[in-house]
Amino acid sequence: MIRIAAVGDLHYGVGSPSILRPSLEHLPDRADLLVLAGDLTRCGGTDEIKILAGDLRQLRIPVIAVLGNHDYQADKEDEVRKVLEDAGTRVLEGEATTVQINGTRVGVAGTKGFGGGFRGAHGTDFGEPEMKAFVGHTKKLATGLEHALRGLDVDFKIALLHYSPIEATLEGERLEIYPFLGSYLLAEAIDNAGADIVFHGHAHHGSEKGRTPAGIPVRNVAQPVIRHAYNVYTLGTGEGILTAEEARAIRA
Amino acid sequence: MSERRDYFPETIRDKLIHDPRVAEQDLRVEVVESRVVLGGNVATSEIQAMISTVARELLPGYQILNETTVVPATEPEGEEPVA
Repeated sequence: MIRIAAVGDLHYGVGSPSILRPSLEHLPDRADLLVLAGDLTRCGGTDEIKILAGDLRQLRIPVIAVLGNHDYQADKEDEVRKVLEDAGTRVLEGEATTVQINGTRVGVAGTKGFGGGFRGAHGTDFGEPEMKAFVGHTKKLATGLEHALRGLDVDFKIALLHYSPIEATLEGERLEIYPFLGSYLLAEAIDNAGADIVFHGHAHHGSEKGRTPAGIPVRNVAQPVIRHAYNVYTLGTGEGILTAEEARAIRA
Repeated sequence: MSERRDYFPETIRDKLIHDPRVAEQDLRVEVVESRVVLGGNVATSEIQAMISTVARELLPGYQILNETTVVPATEPEGEEPVA
């Protein structure tokens, strides 16, 4: 059994207490891997990410992250990424990585993702350059995610995002802002390539649990949603897997 | 800052989001006469206090009612099997 600790939207800031720090001591006893679903900082500052990096450096388990929209606010996303990687955290954007846990290969493919909306109500890359850029960005990141997932040859695949791939985990948010919270293109990429579990953040007022149209479990681990320092999910127990009939029912 | 009543709450919200001391997109803002009511979830009591400080700077002459909620961040109790 593999235990995954997951959380997003930690929003580390200067002068603000660390959300994760009080839980770090026990985390390696609770989980084999920590995944961070973006919005690690408040304003994307290197001073902010250094505080999180200092916390993560102490951990004795692998840490894998994607960045979120807040981590781009200062236009220093490359520096933010470097600070994390120097502290031993693997940061993914259209990339995948594999870790060995007790002889089991676990692959994580990640992207920030982006918005656009959901089936029947998605924006199109048509018209103004700004609209083409908006939807085009999502398409590019979804394609990168699918490619990264397909490249994994592992026992378990995890898709790690910041933006949501499905509507179900947005329930609680205002309907008007759904197009800014995620895109079905991300779910399509995941369903095409296959995964065992999807984690995302971003939707602070959303719901924790949902599934892609093909039945892959999705968990919104935004910290304000899970209301803990992190949640733990297990792979390899055989529980939580849909029967073929259940998967067909979801698709219908 | 525009104080046109119809748009004033959104103007305040935008100012708070862009202040690096706050940078919180989940805030709700209501203006009732000379009172500004702030709601939503925040990560820590320090951010909650900072929101009041910044709001008072932005809105001299208004009474600030900070009704935001600090989200708990304790360790989880169990695990969820997903696959």
